[in-house]
Amino acid sequence: MDSHRADISEDQDALAPGDVPVGVKSEQLTLHDPRAVLSLLEADQVVAAKRRTHFGRKNLSLGTKALLWGLRVYVVAMLVIVLLSVYQAIHAAR
Amino acid sequence: MDAPDKNPSLLSGQTAHPTTESAVASAAAPELIGLVTHEDVDRARDRWEVARARSKGRSKKFGGFRLLWLLVGPGVLVFLGENDAPSMLSYSADGSRYGVGFFIPFVVLTFIMGFIVQEMTVRLGAVTHRGHAELIFDRFGKFWGFFAMGDLIFGNFLTLVTEFIGVRAGLGFFGVRPSIAVGGALVIVVAAITTGRYWTWERITLSLAIFNGLFIPAAILARPDWHAVGHAMVTWTPFPGGSRYEILLLILATIGATVTPWMLFFQQSAVVDKGMQPRDINAGRFDTLLGALLASVFAIAAILATVPLFHHGINAADFQAAQFAEALEPLIGHTGAALFALGIFEAGIVAAIAISTSSAYAFGEVMQTGHSLNRPLREAWPFYLTLFGSACAAAALVLIPHFPLEFVVLTVNVIAVLAMPPALAFLLLLVNDPEVMGEHINGFWANVAGVTVTVLLIIAGLGFGLATVFPKWLGG
Repeated sequence: MDSHRADISEDQDALAPGDVPVGVKSEQLTLHDPRAVLSLLEADQVVAAKRRTHFGRKNLSLGTKALLWGLRVYVVAMLVIVLLSVYQAIHAAR
Repeated sequence: MDAPDKNPSLLSGQTAHPTTESAVASAAAPELIGLVTHEDVDRARDRWEVARARSKGRSKKFGGFRLLWLLVGPGVLVFLGENDAPSMLSYSADGSRYGVGFFIPFVVLTFIMGFIVQEMTVRLGAVTHRGHAELIFDRFGKFWGFFAMGDLIFGNFLTLVTEFIGVRAGLGFFGVRPSIAVGGALVIVVAAITTGRYWTWERITLSLAIFNGLFIPAAILARPDWHAVGHAMVTWTPFPGGSRYEILLLILATIGATVTPWMLFFQQSAVVDKGMQPRDINAGRFDTLLGALLASVFAIAAILATVPLFHHGINAADFQAAQFAEALEPLIGHTGAALFALGIFEAGIVAAIAISTSSAYAFGEVMQTGHSLNRPLREAWPFYLTLFGSACAAAALVLIPHFPLEFVVLTVNVIAVLAMPPALAFLLLLVNDPEVMGEHINGFWANVAGVTVTVLLIIAGLGFGLATVFPKWLGG
């Protein structure tokens, strides 16, 4: 996997029921041959690999947390204002 | 970081077709043999075509076009998808209420803003092979992840409702009954997703999306004053007069017509589903730029098509799509009005496909279930159910008698702008995260541009808020 991956958790049995393995055919190139499929994809592009590797949780600095909270408050306040403006528009229309 | 070539002989251009021997020799992850899925096979087929095109592109004069043809898609789709029914109505409102002037160059500016942020999603998707929702949950945890998802799902659903309003109104011009119009739109959405193949879905949706260009002949039939258009592009004048509150609302709606949260989630997931890799980033940039260019031209065409309403003093303040077309008919002719109505229908249908897919991608990423259009229905039924279910629910709402459709249309673009700053904050934090992006981390100027867009959106939102709470502040 890429060297910049963080927190790789190994879970070999993480394949979902729908991930049906494809049979192998030898001697001729065919995308039914998983080796040919793997040769065309990056290692972390394969569904099974993505299922068992995840980026770890980032440590959020105080500044980042303050930014995210500030923007959250902004969105909530603005939504209230949108409701107010819609109420005003409907009221004015009547 | 560019991952090493799994098959150097193939990708260096010496051999267009991988052989089993070369595949075996290069098998990067032997433990994955036996775990390859249908989705992987379809994606590998797309990569094979890209590798062959890249190989031939080096040897033939115009070989690069084949490569671009294969890699173009998510960027064009996201921008033409965002030229959706409420967006085209916002542009129409700009043209009909203020004529040729400030809003023409302003629309171009909003698409530049759109390109800046969408380019980052291309890099994120190509480097990490993860969707936007998945990355937010991984890096920021469930608490912040659910906030981001809440904004997305709420905004997406409201927008989806407006797309079906557009479909209903666009076909209403031709006398099609609402139930038939909305039902037909659902059939098209289903037809697009039942291909079980991202590539096919993308090409079908692109072929529908290009009809966004119907606004161009409609604009030509409106006989625009090209000298005034050129003057407006250079001077940003005349600046709109009248109620400053209404102008601010239209500015906000116009920004919301171009820069919205669903675009971030959609393009990144589509880049992943398409199987793009770091070496495709430049093609992804071209794709995004092409989408922004096409969409800005079509948006300006929508403005120009409705300018005759401004010149004839027709009050379009409360117009919906069909009313725009009906009002335009005596001014630009039946053909022009019909093209305008068809354009609104097309805008609604393409956006309905793209936005419902965006919701389904995000749902699948968060729930860690299959979330690819390369998966057959039986393997990823929660993904397809989300896609189809959200479209059905939105369509059903549009058919409810006395449902406040105008309320939804009025607010959807504004809500999109207001929800954008937190989405951009997550985006900027991710593209500046070296553990996620490796060498593809944001550069200084990309950060300056991204932060500038975020600050502009916050200022626009705050201006709207202040003007609403203190209407006398703007003379409203």
